Amino acid sequence: MAMRQTPLTCSGHTRPVVDLAFSGITPYGYFLISACKDGKPMLRQGDTGDWIGTFLGHKGAVWGATLNKDATKAATAAADFTAKVWDAVSGDELMTLAHKHIVKTVDFTQDSNYLLTGGQDKLLRIYDLNKPEADPKEISGHTSGIKKALWCSEDKQILSADDKTVRLWDHATMTEVKSLNFNMSVSSMEYIPEGEILVITYGRSIAFHSAVSLDPIKSFEAPATINSASLHPEKEFLVAGGEDFKLYKYDYNSGEELESYKGHFGPIHCVRFSPDGELYASGSEDGTLRLWQTVVGKTYGLWKCVLPEEDSGDLAKPKISFPETAEEELEEIASENSDSIDSSTPEVKA
Amino acid sequence: MIWHHPASVSSSGKWGLCRVLSCKELTVELQRQEEPHKKKDNPNHPSRIMQTPPTTTVPVLRLPRGPDGLSRGFAPDGRRAPLKPVVPEIPESQESRESQEQRARATLRERYLRSLLAMVGRQVSFTLHEGVHVTAHFGATDLDVANFYVSQLQTPIGVQAEALLRCSDIVSYTFKP
Repeated sequence: MAMRQTPLTCSGHTRPVVDLAFSGITPYGYFLISACKDGKPMLRQGDTGDWIGTFLGHKGAVWGATLNKDATKAATAAADFTAKVWDAVSGDELMTLAHKHIVKTVDFTQDSNYLLTGGQDKLLRIYDLNKPEADPKEISGHTSGIKKALWCSEDKQILSADDKTVRLWDHATMTEVKSLNFNMSVSSMEYIPEGEILVITYGRSIAFHSAVSLDPIKSFEAPATINSASLHPEKEFLVAGGEDFKLYKYDYNSGEELESYKGHFGPIHCVRFSPDGELYASGSEDGTLRLWQTVVGKTYGLWKCVLPEEDSGDLAKPKISFPETAEEELEEIASENSDSIDSSTPEVKA
Repeated sequence: MIWHHPASVSSSGKWGLCRVLSCKELTVELQRQEEPHKKKDNPNHPSRIMQTPPTTTVPVLRLPRGPDGLSRGFAPDGRRAPLKPVVPEIPESQESRESQEQRARATLRERYLRSLLAMVGRQVSFTLHEGVHVTAHFGATDLDVANFYVSQLQTPIGVQAEALLRCSDIVSYTFKP
């Protein structure tokens, strides 16, 4: 019997969700941060979508958000001309980094010692987070506002995208190594460290390039303008979403469109796979985040596997009983603490 | 069981009132709300559902919890908060100390369960009695953590494709996450 995807809707934002990022896998699972035009980025548990907290402090739309690998720090880029660094455990603001224009993108190095920022002032900035008072190092060269900036090649290089170009910079020398030009506006960029792959979306194209040489690997065309795409950690699938409100899932090797899902009520601005590849999250103009299963019907997070009626189902039981049990046990523990389950009230601001 | 449906006041405006839905109603509502669009199907066909074989929607335990609307979150007694030592600042009743201990136990238990989850699919080295060391890929454990289901178990007498290790036989185990 075919299983239909049940996306999990995470509500709470009151304006479009424009960026989202997952942390790495930590002893407490993995986490998800969402950037929203309402100025209030939120931290959520990655596998369930449960809200953990909201980072309060920005005075304008938050355009970019990221978490460090162990989800102890968060960084956000906002229209109030600042980037902020937060303690992702307590929710406290740690640093405010003033800029000269709207900040659009932030990225931590692997060791969380440096923060890369970029925005409408067309400059890439590198802040030493151990010396927040010191001036950042600046890299100039972009001729239009920077939309996305990422560390790559073990933080030895930087990838940055503006409206029509993607540039590769050497961190040590702060000089441009290579650049790619596009006829259409680049809408998003994702870097996959294992395999050094760069995923770029522009128009209806989803393109894959080497992050080291920027040489093209392959590209696919989608039925509609794509705003964001993400490659599965095992590079079996990719997901993409854009202006037609739908999420598309492709086989990475063959380029075949495997699935498409309706569900969002507005254009999709960002899509990302979780670090374990078991789900992907999409953020939309409709103000919601949705979590989608990679393998529909599998028991994971809040999704519960449905066993077939036949006896052969019993043989399969030991394999799936553990994750189920863990969830149920955790639910029991949570209910012992009495205040967690009922705290989700419908009084979510619309 | 009763489920609260946060999407009942989502910004989409689709839900006019907030109402407590039963589990079955929730699954049906979710089915109505989300429509998978298969590539080969004609999206304009009114009886598209009649054409495809019967499908079931993946059930969910509950919906993701939303903001509480009262605070900014990051609960002080949340998962990642450091465990406070059981030293009362003001004289506390016996019950309160016990509930603190209970909470600490719950956090430790949860951490252990998460460590087991993190082990799935990884290479784990087990130290058994009599100084025996074996390695295997961890699969799962049972409810009481009495047995570990492993695969590719490397033993001194060969490699076992699938095996059950009794936890009473295990002295310690280690893995790199």
